[in-house]
Amino acid sequence: MQFVDRETTMKTTKQMMLATTVLTAFAGMSSAQVAEDSRLKTVLERGSLLCSGHNGSFQGFAEVDDEGNWQGVDIDLCRALAAGLFGASEGNLEIVPISWAQRWPALQSGDIDVVIKVSGWTQSRDTELNLAFSRPYFIGAFQAMAPADLDAESIADLTGGTICVGAGTSTERALATYLETKDIDAEVLTFENGDELRNSYFEGRCDGFVEWAPSLAASRADAPDGPENHTILPDVIALEAEGIVVPEGDDDWLDVQNWMLSSLWFAEMEGITSENVDDIRADPPSETVAKFLGVSPGYGERLGLSDDWAYNMIKEVGNFSELYERNIGSGSRYGLDRGINALYTNGGVFYPMIID
Amino acid sequence: MSVPSPAEISRQPFPKLLKDRYFATRIDTIVTVTFGLLTLWLLWSFFEWAVLHAYVDPEDRDACVQSEGACWAVITARWRIVLFGLYPFEEQWRSALACLAIVLTTILSCLPSFWTALRLSLLWIVGFAAFYILMRGGILGLAPVSERDWGGLALTLFIFAAVVLIGMPLSIVFALLRRSNLPWISRTMGLVIDTIRSLPLLTIMFAFAVVIPFATPDWMNGQQLYRVIVGYAIFFACYQAEIIRGGIQSLPAGQEEAAKALGLGYWQRVGYIILPQAFRNALPPTINQVVITFKETSLVTIIGFFDILASGRAASGTGEWSFATIEVYVFVAFIFFVFVFSLSRYGAYLERRLGVGTR
Repeated sequence: MQFVDRETTMKTTKQMMLATTVLTAFAGMSSAQVAEDSRLKTVLERGSLLCSGHNGSFQGFAEVDDEGNWQGVDIDLCRALAAGLFGASEGNLEIVPISWAQRWPALQSGDIDVVIKVSGWTQSRDTELNLAFSRPYFIGAFQAMAPADLDAESIADLTGGTICVGAGTSTERALATYLETKDIDAEVLTFENGDELRNSYFEGRCDGFVEWAPSLAASRADAPDGPENHTILPDVIALEAEGIVVPEGDDDWLDVQNWMLSSLWFAEMEGITSENVDDIRADPPSETVAKFLGVSPGYGERLGLSDDWAYNMIKEVGNFSELYERNIGSGSRYGLDRGINALYTNGGVFYPMIID
Repeated sequence: MSVPSPAEISRQPFPKLLKDRYFATRIDTIVTVTFGLLTLWLLWSFFEWAVLHAYVDPEDRDACVQSEGACWAVITARWRIVLFGLYPFEEQWRSALACLAIVLTTILSCLPSFWTALRLSLLWIVGFAAFYILMRGGILGLAPVSERDWGGLALTLFIFAAVVLIGMPLSIVFALLRRSNLPWISRTMGLVIDTIRSLPLLTIMFAFAVVIPFATPDWMNGQQLYRVIVGYAIFFACYQAEIIRGGIQSLPAGQEEAAKALGLGYWQRVGYIILPQAFRNALPPTINQVVITFKETSLVTIIGFFDILASGRAASGTGEWSFATIEVYVFVAFIFFVFVFSLSRYGAYLERRLGVGTR
């Protein structure tokens, strides 16, 4: 998997280099040209980024602190993006609260510039809806939780019982497919509202509760009868790869998203944090890091940004590990293990792309 | 034995009154005792949950999770999010004052001494301007706050007040057009009203918030908030127009004919004879419509506005308080109750004052 990806990356890089060379020769310019109609241009000219928020809260990804400030993984990615574009997110970022159903029309109509809202990469969204996904930044598993006294060890043990799930979500579809293929006969009860779903489970209306693993962990931690009375079953009903979404056909804008994510992972790999980024920038250990932090030119210019854009992002939100731990990991109430979401060096599936 | 009339009963001394009303026969006694006990039990359970076993101090959060009672600590910790949504924390006093301005304006406009067109419109212009300046800022040394950051109670009140203020005059226009003598006008208006009334409010809001920007040029789009208010106001006006038309049609035809015979022109007939009587007849359904409008403002959460219901969800939607959703919903329900109950009591007062139903 990784080899293929790396090869593809190399190929793309070569193609990009070729393209840049041609472009440089043709236009006599050293920086990459940003298309006239790109969102990148619109956003830079407007001087602020309109990023997706939530109508209410999605725990760990977009929620509101005691003083009404947004926080969460998705919000931090918005902040990183704004910092990369403008130097700092303060005053240059507007979080627009939108609902799930509204995110695609809002993106297409320009009410928001980018959707960073735990959105799974699905084929219909990618093709029919004319959306473009960045590489995933989070892999979420759909799992089931059951009361411990049922002694269930897998979803198959819930045969004949009732399984509760959110209505109209990709979870509902994934569960239906899973039950069908495994030939499990269980009644599926759907709920429009997440709170209602959770309460129904804890009141005993459902034998199983299917949710996205991070939400499931959060619910279990605050179970009224104690977390030890509930088991998260190991079966993975479906995996969802969450990516950043931009309109299709806007390569310059998509490039910025991909390289933002890559930069956060690259910083983690190199041990660059929001704390030590200034020291490392003053004395970069390698030519790549020097380029990455904007000491030597090129890293930002090719995207149509300033060369210290990655430095600004790291300074503001830290590397991916800091961002994760602060919002849903060990530094938060959710205490979610990094697991598959770690860098490949730590047993995960994520990796930075090559900076050359 | 003759059955005493209600008026006679209420004049009797209390013990006798109790017996006549609730314990007159054996079946009466059984029903009274059963339902009395049931009510007491329900009230007691609620009291136990909401008061006896409740925690109020946010420090007691962990005790709350295990406890049987209500966890009002979530309100103590996060009431400002419920009331003000995403409004900047240091500026929330402005949002509070703005809510107060709208409530005061509403109360004042309920007083009969303000009931002239001039005074009412002046009052609302001043009240609304005060609300808008406080919320939006940008002048008088107030930091500007974009409409996007408005939320909570202030947003709910703003949407409600704006919809009724735009919708009410619009509904009169719609009703008069629908009753026009020119068939083209009355039929077209009828078609428009019936079309809009046969669409769900949610569809209309979604269309105005999300679809319209695709169809119209940029300069027409404006802020999403105002688009939604316009859509909702048109929806309100269509329903209210039918209510007013009902009020007009309940008038005896002689009223308008007499006015014509006196030589009054169209506007005089409408302004002095028809509308005042029509409004009087249409008062109960109008109050009903206004109350429904207030409650349905919470639909805007679907298109991503941080109204009081959405901000309630945000208040409980964090790892720390996610178990306390019921308390937050009860709190929001209480706020809705205070407003809606006052509205409907005021409606009842108006009906008594105008003698609706006693003619």
